[in-house]
Amino acid sequence: MRPDATSTDVLELRDLTVDYDGVRAVDRVSLRVRRGEVVALLGPSGSGKSTLLHTVAGFLPPTRGEVWLKGRRVATPERAEPPEGRDVAVVFQSYALWPHMSALDTVAYPIRRKGSSRRAARDEALELLDRLHIAHLADRRPAELSGGEQQRVGLARALARQASLYLFDEPTAHLDTHVRGVFLDELVVRREASGGGGLYATHDAEEALGLADRVALLDAGRLVQLGTPQQLYSEPVDLWAARLTGPASVLEASVRDARDGRCSVIIDGTVVTVEAPADTPVRDAVPLLVRPGWARLGGELTGRLQSVRFRGPHCDYSVETASGNVLIREPGPPRHAAGTDVRWTLKRTWPMIPASRYQASDKDVDVS
Amino acid sequence: MPTGSAGLGRGSGLWAVGAVVTMLVVLPVLRLIYVVWIEGGSRLGEVFGRPGLDDAVVNTLLLAAAVTVVAVPLGAFVALGLRRADVPGRRGWRFAMLLPVLVPQFVLGYSWTQAYGRAGFTDSTLGLQWSSVLGPWGVWAVLVVNTVPLTYLVAAVGLATRAEPNLERAARASGASSASVLRDVTLPLLRPSIAAATVLSFVLTLESFAIPQVMGTPAGFTTVTTRIYRDLSLGSDPFSFVEALALALLLVAITVVIVVPADLWLTPRLRVTRVAHPEGAPIVTPSGVVGRWIAAGLCGYLVAGVVLPLVALVVAALTPAVGVSPSPGNWTLDNFSLVVNSRTMEALGRSALLAFVAAALLLVLGGLVAILERRRAGRALASLVTVTLVLPGSTLAVALLITYGRWLGGTLVLVLLAYLAKLWAFAHRPISGALDRLPDGELQAARASGAGPLTAVRTVALRPLAPALLAAWLICFVTALHEVTMSSLLYGPGSETLAVVVLNSQELGRIGPTAALSVLLTLIMLVAALPLWLQISWLRSPRRMSDVRGRSLAHAP
Repeated sequence: MRPDATSTDVLELRDLTVDYDGVRAVDRVSLRVRRGEVVALLGPSGSGKSTLLHTVAGFLPPTRGEVWLKGRRVATPERAEPPEGRDVAVVFQSYALWPHMSALDTVAYPIRRKGSSRRAARDEALELLDRLHIAHLADRRPAELSGGEQQRVGLARALARQASLYLFDEPTAHLDTHVRGVFLDELVVRREASGGGGLYATHDAEEALGLADRVALLDAGRLVQLGTPQQLYSEPVDLWAARLTGPASVLEASVRDARDGRCSVIIDGTVVTVEAPADTPVRDAVPLLVRPGWARLGGELTGRLQSVRFRGPHCDYSVETASGNVLIREPGPPRHAAGTDVRWTLKRTWPMIPASRYQASDKDVDVS
Repeated sequence: MPTGSAGLGRGSGLWAVGAVVTMLVVLPVLRLIYVVWIEGGSRLGEVFGRPGLDDAVVNTLLLAAAVTVVAVPLGAFVALGLRRADVPGRRGWRFAMLLPVLVPQFVLGYSWTQAYGRAGFTDSTLGLQWSSVLGPWGVWAVLVVNTVPLTYLVAAVGLATRAEPNLERAARASGASSASVLRDVTLPLLRPSIAAATVLSFVLTLESFAIPQVMGTPAGFTTVTTRIYRDLSLGSDPFSFVEALALALLLVAITVVIVVPADLWLTPRLRVTRVAHPEGAPIVTPSGVVGRWIAAGLCGYLVAGVVLPLVALVVAALTPAVGVSPSPGNWTLDNFSLVVNSRTMEALGRSALLAFVAAALLLVLGGLVAILERRRAGRALASLVTVTLVLPGSTLAVALLITYGRWLGGTLVLVLLAYLAKLWAFAHRPISGALDRLPDGELQAARASGAGPLTAVRTVALRPLAPALLAAWLICFVTALHEVTMSSLLYGPGSETLAVVVLNSQELGRIGPTAALSVLLTLIMLVAALPLWLQISWLRSPRRMSDVRGRSLAHAP
């Protein structure tokens, strides 16, 4: 149990609202980033991710609500600590490297600002560049660096800040495996020392689900859903969230008798028992989400194969059934031709029902 | 960009434009050098030893240095200050900062003498007068007021295109205070723009004529340009003409010595390598106090520099005679009815016609060069045209006079040629810039959708180019309308422009009528410029752009 939430959380947003350029860009968002945790802000462009990050960094003042960093209140509508006074580091979209500075001076810059001598700052910066395998680029300016190299310099500059919270403002390219590893190692080290965390804005679901400990789904400035990547994938709050986080098929079927994590579903006259949450409504015409791995080819249900797409390691089969189309993913090369009748099995569903049962903020619940 | 109007006979277009440049600029300048060599030759030492000439040269250089030293930091300071979100009426100030440029130099200088001089506005209302408004200090002050908008504009454009807000945010997020960010990031990024503003300010002051003529000459303060004017219009001895030619050549020599090295250093540095992200204002701690001080300072600058002098000018125009109290009870329109005579009206007609024709031709010439320079062969041509930007008006006028004066001397055609040569770059730069910003893919997409080259340009390129084309036309029209440096050297009986009529009236010491003419000239300029300016800013407004580009950008912070 956490004795005092604010002393262990790296970041806490309390009911944060930010108006930007006459638009309500962030709308009553409450969110926590715990020690050693990476939270992804996932949403389409215009959903308020960047505005939220900029408010945490101190580039924008909140319109309402508060920003707390490591138990210290740094921003209210009345008073906002300037960015240099906050314990945060930022990796910018397109990296924002200074065109007139070499990679070494760029990385040494945050160290210098902390009061180190020029020599000490350069030594430390060189060490950081070395950890990211780009020490040989120390004298180059941004114009002489490739996109991937720029990303490493941008991350090295952020690491040099030695901050408790790292903000990633939609990096234009995915973090490559090595860069990600260095960053996650850094978080582990920080967790031992003083606690460190990351807030990663992206519009790419695959990246968000693959990188983060928890994902915050944003739409039009509102926090729509918050949970682990697995929760977001298998228990999406609505169809929009489902489609954003991966391939989604929806069957409309009658549900009978839901209990113990299973329920009976009638598809095309056949009754099948599938995994489903206990609160699945027992009635006719329930919209049921089916992820590609939740159904298999072969079994008691029938359908007509509409199309087959070869994807390399697996194939996507689109099966037309009386209850709707369902996408099934099976390993290996295509096993059936399009237009033929196939049999299939439903193993698991998730009902798409009004979202009132979801907690779209972590004000009171402990999800971890 | 190998797209668009391919196959329109680029080869012949290149030759035609090359011939026009040669005729307008290259030939006259060569002729000037030749004539100075032949005529001056052995007597050049004698010419440069004439009394007062060294003073004129020293005055010119000192003046250019003194104006630059003040106008460049001031312009940069205003540009930086107006980026702060807490300056009340920020958008309005950005517009107002450019107003001094809309007032003809001649009118600005003359209005200062009416505002702050002996028996001027402040003298008669408050008993305050600034005795040295006529003389070097007055010339300096007005030139600063006239130059600051340009240095501001260069710095502001530099900030907008080079100092991306994210670069400054990155420094803040690295632990730098706002002062450190200015020192470590913003100013280094701005350095090329500041250097460009310095060169521009120095060169423009070197070649300025109207302000030194109106405010310096009466006090015996001469510069190279006013001396050329005196030599050509009043000089009686045979040396005067040779002296004018030699000075014209000296002026261009000084300019070249400054501009060429500066250009070599600046060109690679001013190239914009990245697309600026206009979204997102720079970070500001909105204290409000600093912003209010900045607004107050700008307000004072504009009131003292432009508004009060113009008010004084209007009052002088409404006051019937010197010595009559300038109180509203005494105001009449006598001066206006005096100057609105057939001579003025003819001059006005000539000016308007000349400016209109010049602007229309310049749009074609500027557009041609902008298109031709997309190909390697056209680039030298474009550089040549850009060089005319800094070719002093006095030099150009003298060179054209000795080249074509035999046939065209004293005619409007010669004045038109001078305008075309001087303003070509003014038309070329905006169009060229807009073409650069036009994404390659858009024309190609139009061609791939079945449009011919001309249809593609008309349907896809014309709309984004429209603000630049209008702006180019407007700059040329307005500048030609109040041009006095070259017109005053080239006019003859029956070819005076309105600006020349105003200058002559001032030389005769007729205060009321001169003020009335100045007011008329300014009003005509405003009437011509404002509707077009509004149209341009409407076309450029981000709201309209977002309508065109789709709404996705509107949300991105």
